[in-house]
Amino acid sequence: MKKELSAAAKRKRLNHLLIHAGIILFAAACVYPLLRIFSVSLRPGDKLVSMDLAIIPAGATFISYTKLLGDTMFLRWLWNSLLITLATSFIGVSLASTAAYAFSRFRFPGKKAGMILLLSSQMIPAGMLILPLFLMIMKLKLMNTYLGMIIAYSVSSLPFSIWILKGYYDTIPRSLEEAALVDGTSQVGAFWRIILPLSTPALSIAFLFNFTTAWNEYLVARVVLFSSKQYTWTLGLFELQGQYITQWGMFAAGSMLVTIPVLCVFLYSSKWLISGLTLGSVKG
Amino acid sequence: MNILTSIGEVSWFILLVAAGVAALVGYLYSHFKFYSRSWFFPAVLAVFPALALAVFGGLLGGYAFKLWLSFLAAEAAIAVFFRYVVKGRHTVPYLLLAPAFVGLALLLVYPFVFEVYLSFHDLKLTTIMMWKNTGTLPFVGIDQYIKVFTTSPLSETTFWQLLLRTLVWTFSNVFFHVLGGFILALMLNNSIRFKGFYRTLLVIPWAMPQVVAVLAMRGEFHATNGFVNIVITRLLGFFPFLSHLGVAPVQWLTDYPLLTCTLINIWLGIPFMMVVILGGLQSISSSYYDAADIDGASYFQKLRYITLPLVRPVMMPAVTLGTVWTFNNINVIYLVTGQAGGTEQADILVSALYKAAFTYNRYSYSAAFAIVVFAMLFFFSVFYLKSFDAAKDER
Repeated sequence: MKKELSAAAKRKRLNHLLIHAGIILFAAACVYPLLRIFSVSLRPGDKLVSMDLAIIPAGATFISYTKLLGDTMFLRWLWNSLLITLATSFIGVSLASTAAYAFSRFRFPGKKAGMILLLSSQMIPAGMLILPLFLMIMKLKLMNTYLGMIIAYSVSSLPFSIWILKGYYDTIPRSLEEAALVDGTSQVGAFWRIILPLSTPALSIAFLFNFTTAWNEYLVARVVLFSSKQYTWTLGLFELQGQYITQWGMFAAGSMLVTIPVLCVFLYSSKWLISGLTLGSVKG
Repeated sequence: MNILTSIGEVSWFILLVAAGVAALVGYLYSHFKFYSRSWFFPAVLAVFPALALAVFGGLLGGYAFKLWLSFLAAEAAIAVFFRYVVKGRHTVPYLLLAPAFVGLALLLVYPFVFEVYLSFHDLKLTTIMMWKNTGTLPFVGIDQYIKVFTTSPLSETTFWQLLLRTLVWTFSNVFFHVLGGFILALMLNNSIRFKGFYRTLLVIPWAMPQVVAVLAMRGEFHATNGFVNIVITRLLGFFPFLSHLGVAPVQWLTDYPLLTCTLINIWLGIPFMMVVILGGLQSISSSYYDAADIDGASYFQKLRYITLPLVRPVMMPAVTLGTVWTFNNINVIYLVTGQAGGTEQADILVSALYKAAFTYNRYSYSAAFAIVVFAMLFFFSVFYLKSFDAAKDER
């Protein structure tokens, strides 16, 4: 009996070893490109084009970083992105928070139709709306402006945000609001004083989702913004990564500067983001 | 750089929306408190536009002001409708929904309708000035739709080639996303050490900004400096006999652009599937497996008869979403091949649509193209959801 057990334990250990090996292989494939960018960003200017695979290259310097910050408009691009993104996220979340409250707490004609409309709006290919949005923005003379970008972005994550927030409001017991209503607040007062403060986690997730979507957007920015002063960082990096191999180092440095914060935010929030995603998909 | 003006430009727009929402919430609040007082409602309707005029009119002018007014007008119209036509029932939920749905109507529904309008007219580089000045366009009927099927949206690739390529692209991507995601999720769903750490590493492709990830991967497929070809060259150095088997560095970006894009997109998409499937796996109660163990089931029997059926309901919506996302993925293909002089060998329907509009400036043509693509996607979704519902009913 004892011998058998140890055989099983041995097999289990072997299994786990294989699993570790497999996962490490996959994980390496996931992380290595990021490490490569890091490595390119540290290369000295004369060795950008090299067949070297070492992660810390020989003669590592931060020259690409200083050149990026000094010679290009990278900071300006970051600033543009930040403004546009913050404005869109703010608008997106404020619109979603009230709409989700209506869906969560009221019965009214057209409720189901509204929910279906929200879901089906996700079916419209984003690429398809770029052209009419572009023409609208042109007609409004908002080309190459922040406002044009904000308008174009502002509702893109709205259905998803409403969906997440509605799910969260549903979990807050109604008795809390009822107590407040008995005490004499209005329905809106209850929303403002009870529901909103309680749903801070969901609100911040919706905010982050809006933020990352707009922050990483490229295709709309490509057609709305045309002077490099107005570029968002995505356009700027695309330009740097262009044909000129000399700018590779700067592209890599810029990528690192943008990726690290985004990565941290994503990893920090991924737990909630994922539960929101799976919750929505299971229900839908 | 002129930070002050840029802050100004943005902050007043935020102010506008904030004021809109504040006005709405404020109105609702008063609506309840002063429900019986007849003077309040007309007063609110009169005061807010007046305030808006005073505060924003002088400060901003132009489009901001028009936007603000139309937003307010929509709110007021809804309020009047419910106050006097529906007599106060359901006013609150509709007003709460109004900002979001006005936004969606302006920026999702209207563009969609506008696209349909465009597809029956002729907007191209030569007529765009006329449209800008007069707002009218020549009507051409279904000519644009005929052109979609008979001429190329780019310079040579036809619609049918694009369609075939899109199907291959979508199927191969989703297949490998699910396969890879499933394998990884199965491996992670053991009680192993460093599980959280591994998971963190494995979601990195998903977490990175897509632009950075795709551009970096494109660099790795570069003919001489890319990681892939460096590895192939080194392998050849170690094992010279491989060259007899046809192993050689490949011009990825020029000779096999679609394959390159597919590989990049598979790399990008696996983490999402992994996370969804892992969530499904973790929700399966271990008692099923214990029972199966007692019955002496093998690993693959357990996989086939317990894991797969129980993960399916979590997986199917993710697969549907993934299919639609992949079908609509312009990003990867455009970022890899979209530079001036880039190849069109990798283009799928949606990326060709984007290029037809913005590289070749054929606006109406690409609008018709978009409607055709949308119709296909729509029928796929309806058909798919129907079959999904039917499967649900059977159980």
